[in-house]
Amino acid sequence: MLLDFALPAHDRKLIPEGRLSGQTPWVIAIMLFLTLLVAATGLSLFDAVQKGGEDLAQQATLQIIEPDPVARAAQKVEVSRILRNVAGIAEVNPVPDGDVRNLLKPWLGNDVIDTDIPVPALIDIRFKKAPDDATLNALKARAQKVAPKIRLDSHSSWMAPFFQLMSSLIYLAIAIFMLLLIATSAVVILAVRSTLNTHRATIEIMHMMGGTDVQAARLFQRRVALDALLGGAVGFAAAAGVILTLGGRIAAVEPGLLAGASLPVYGWVALAIIPLAVTGLAMLMARWTVVSALKKML
Amino acid sequence: MQSVVEFDNVGLRYGTGAETLTDLSFTLYPGSFYFLTGASGAGKTSLLKLLYLAHRPSRGAIRMFGHDAITLPRDRLPGFRRRIGVVFQDFRLVQHLSTFDNIALPLRIAGILEKDLQSPVTEMLDWIGLTERADARPATLSGGEQQRVAIARAVIGRPEMLVADEPTGNVDPEMARRLLQLFEALNRLGTTVIVATHDIHLLQEIEGAQMMRLDKGRLSDPTGSLRHPPRPLVLKN
Repeated sequence: MLLDFALPAHDRKLIPEGRLSGQTPWVIAIMLFLTLLVAATGLSLFDAVQKGGEDLAQQATLQIIEPDPVARAAQKVEVSRILRNVAGIAEVNPVPDGDVRNLLKPWLGNDVIDTDIPVPALIDIRFKKAPDDATLNALKARAQKVAPKIRLDSHSSWMAPFFQLMSSLIYLAIAIFMLLLIATSAVVILAVRSTLNTHRATIEIMHMMGGTDVQAARLFQRRVALDALLGGAVGFAAAAGVILTLGGRIAAVEPGLLAGASLPVYGWVALAIIPLAVTGLAMLMARWTVVSALKKML
Repeated sequence: MQSVVEFDNVGLRYGTGAETLTDLSFTLYPGSFYFLTGASGAGKTSLLKLLYLAHRPSRGAIRMFGHDAITLPRDRLPGFRRRIGVVFQDFRLVQHLSTFDNIALPLRIAGILEKDLQSPVTEMLDWIGLTERADARPATLSGGEQQRVAIARAVIGRPEMLVADEPTGNVDPEMARRLLQLFEALNRLGTTVIVATHDIHLLQEIEGAQMMRLDKGRLSDPTGSLRHPPRPLVLKN
């Protein structure tokens, strides 16, 4: 393929430079710009799901739903002590009561929180590795010996719908990515067919002089490769600009769910490979189109 | 004598129409020179297309260079075509290539290195008197100049068989004679030459020229050359 690309200068003249070009590189640039944005979105989501999912799967929150504030405080201390002695637990962080009240104030108001409603005590737990249901049940049973009214929630369970949505978006990104690749291939095929029609007389002459289908295909492959490389470079530059700008905006957002949505290094490598892969794909499509068309000639 | 081309009961039909060529049976021998004549529409160009493998016949058998040309796989056609030089009636020069590049085209297709083709192409340009127009595009050449380029392109690779469709139709008598000399020189080197022409004077230029005559797609053999090896050629002074 690479050898096919490196045609001698005199062979390049057989199909005039610039004829195939025209609008083709710009259409390829637009297609690649969209392809790269979709790929970047998919890769960022994938990275966020990987990191966030792994992180959340290691976390759980234990609620002590004891109405008596004194007993609740004592149970909180005791349960925390028990949890710190469990082998698979990396961190135990009892959430200060003030923080819990602050979380609820926007919904319930200051007065109600301070007087009427018994606010549960919370203990954040981080496991060394994601616990299974049996581990969680065993832990719950152990805590219930000192605090009967507790609830243990794995973060991964209540975040599951969010990650299912993220996974769906990743599949959607993959589908759009594939559709854009198909559309880009179609653009290349149409451009090659158009050029083939324009230069049919030249190709026929080459045939009559003993030129092979592959010799003719090489001429088109080279032009398509140059167009795809030019379009790819423009598309990549534009997409990189957009991704960097959006990345900066996302980084400025308060840490939360969006914080994990950044393009990882391997994502940039993948994005850089895509224009080259599209160039290779375009050359293959050009070769296939030309050889298929020429096979209809004698 | 080993034949270059053998036609056996060949017919050619375009689509579902009547046969353009009917029951052609003849043998062409190496190193011989044939004129193909006939009225317009007699089928001369169609016969030449069969000879330069642009078409396959509708029926009959064709052997070329000792091989069955009918069943020849498509991927072997280029190798056979490189052994045939063609002068098209409408020249078919590549419009965006210079005179030099048009003439060099068959050599480049055959994979001849650039350093090895400079000399023969320059010589050929000199032969046809177009050295000064080496960089000119076909559109800027006169009809006669384009025809000379087309002929130079056909003979540059020293083909085993040269097929020319009205090759002197657009040149003056002196240039026609020079081109015939070129064909004759090539013929002496062993190339089988088939020239389709209306020009009765051309037929008289070469002594002992073998003549094939087409009439409504059927072939007659006025000189009897098609079934018997021809005599050596002599170009009249």
